[in-house]
Amino acid sequence: MGTERKLVREAQRGSRAAIADLYEAHWPGAHRAAYLVVHDAAAAEDIAQDAFLAAVDNLDRFDRRRPFAPWLHRIVVNRAIDWARREALRRKGDGPIAESPAPAPRQEVGEELMAALGQLPPEQRAVVVLRYLLDYTPGEIARMLELRRGTVNSRLRRGLDRLGDLIEVEG
Amino acid sequence: MNEDRLRRLLRDEPLPGAADAERRGRGVIERAYAERVPIDRPVLPRLALALAAVTLLAGLVLSPAGAAVRDWIGDTFDGGVPNARPALDELPGGGQLLVQSSDGPWVVQADGSRRLLGRYGEATWSPRGLFVGATAGRTLSALEPDGTPRWAISAGSAIDDPRWSPSGFRIAYRAGRNLRVVDADGDDDRVVDTGISPVPAAWFPSGLHLLAYLDGGARLRIADPDADKAMASAEGSPGTVELAWAPDGSLLLERSPDALWVREVSASKLVGRIGIGTARRIPLPTGAEVGAAAFSPHNETIAVLLLRRSDTATPRSEVLLVDPAGGPPRRLFAVSGRLSDLVWSPDGSRLLLSWPDADQWLFLPAGRTGRILAIDGIASAFAPGEPALASFPRIAGWCCSGR
Repeated sequence: MGTERKLVREAQRGSRAAIADLYEAHWPGAHRAAYLVVHDAAAAEDIAQDAFLAAVDNLDRFDRRRPFAPWLHRIVVNRAIDWARREALRRKGDGPIAESPAPAPRQEVGEELMAALGQLPPEQRAVVVLRYLLDYTPGEIARMLELRRGTVNSRLRRGLDRLGDLIEVEG
Repeated sequence: MNEDRLRRLLRDEPLPGAADAERRGRGVIERAYAERVPIDRPVLPRLALALAAVTLLAGLVLSPAGAAVRDWIGDTFDGGVPNARPALDELPGGGQLLVQSSDGPWVVQADGSRRLLGRYGEATWSPRGLFVGATAGRTLSALEPDGTPRWAISAGSAIDDPRWSPSGFRIAYRAGRNLRVVDADGDDDRVVDTGISPVPAAWFPSGLHLLAYLDGGARLRIADPDADKAMASAEGSPGTVELAWAPDGSLLLERSPDALWVREVSASKLVGRIGIGTARRIPLPTGAEVGAAAFSPHNETIAVLLLRRSDTATPRSEVLLVDPAGGPPRRLFAVSGRLSDLVWSPDGSRLLLSWPDADQWLFLPAGRTGRILAIDGIASAFAPGEPALASFPRIAGWCCSGR
């Protein structure tokens, strides 16, 4: 944590090395989280980039006493949820002639895992990703997504059960 | 499911193109960081601050972002925004553009890829960008964004000004001097009014199927084409060439070449009544031509493109953000040159304008932070095979997946 605060402080002072270190430390998690929620490589890249651009734009206003990662991940996950919701609406169509087939989900990442995650609503996917990829506690997730803790817990429980049903038992 | 196994699955599965994405992202972030304008913090002595300011200004003038900031400081660009991207290889802000060229309408995807839909005239997005309505002489067609036609209908006169309703279920258009509406599946084509003015009709922004238009006497009318019923009318503002609704339907904008007017509108679905208020002129600099105006997609802020006479033959273009409730407008951008085509991004964060003489598109941040992005080579991008003869295309719409 101390290192991260130091990097933020140095980045605020203009250190390109510091911003590069912050990027290196946090891009993989941000990108992966976005991908696991949206299941679209291009969208995940855009979302992660946008989150980092927001970080750069707001760097001077960032409170160094607060941890950087939750702030970044909150942006990533909320944008990913928004994107997934919009995409679901798009697939529903535009009106009477809107029967365009939905694109097949991208399956480069373990097909079984992605297919199973794809069965969860975006909000539930996001909670699962925050808990089991990024290791946030249910309380932290509740604050990040502005949910009640009980809602987070129930989404986690239902998500785990559903994934367990969908993913074959490890041999 | 076992939590540890789920953790392993989420963390260890390889991501498609992860290394390339990380490399591209690193470049974007490093450029953005290099171009940012830091907020001065009162921790340095005044002399150091002054030196920093001089260095910053020098850097700004020499950098792409600085080129943008330079204008906000007070100067104007001349002949194009410097350090523009050389080609349309990405759409800043994402979404899809509908672009009108002399060859026909094009759809531009977020990655800059583009497709000519065919030999059509004017075009309109469906509300979620799944279809395009396009005219060709006396024909109106619904196309998929790859150009595949879904249906077509013909009218007795040339068709102009197609407008897809926000509900997705209707398309309004003008056939000669008749205002007509057709269902979005091509059925039930009918006349709404005859002898109207040649001004595009404007759909009410909510799910109600209400159309605002000007009749042959330039009187403002609101009609329900489903019920074949005139709902309200009022004296139109003089010289109106464009109508637009605020996103919540509470205001109607009338633009003439030298003025902007807004009026309050109350729509009650329950009692089937529409109330049209008195038009109120928005104060703008005298003598300025109003080149374009558009409501933000999310609030009542109006972006206005003003063209002002200058000492030279070249006008000065200014982009203002106006609050119709009052207060001074905020100048967003100004150039020595003639801009055109004012379009909001779907998320309301940017404005896209054309600068034909500089062969550029300009993407302006609507907020108080962000960078102006310019893209060069627009005319030739929409004239494959004959770039020397290319005329500058017109932006017909920006849809829909804002980010």
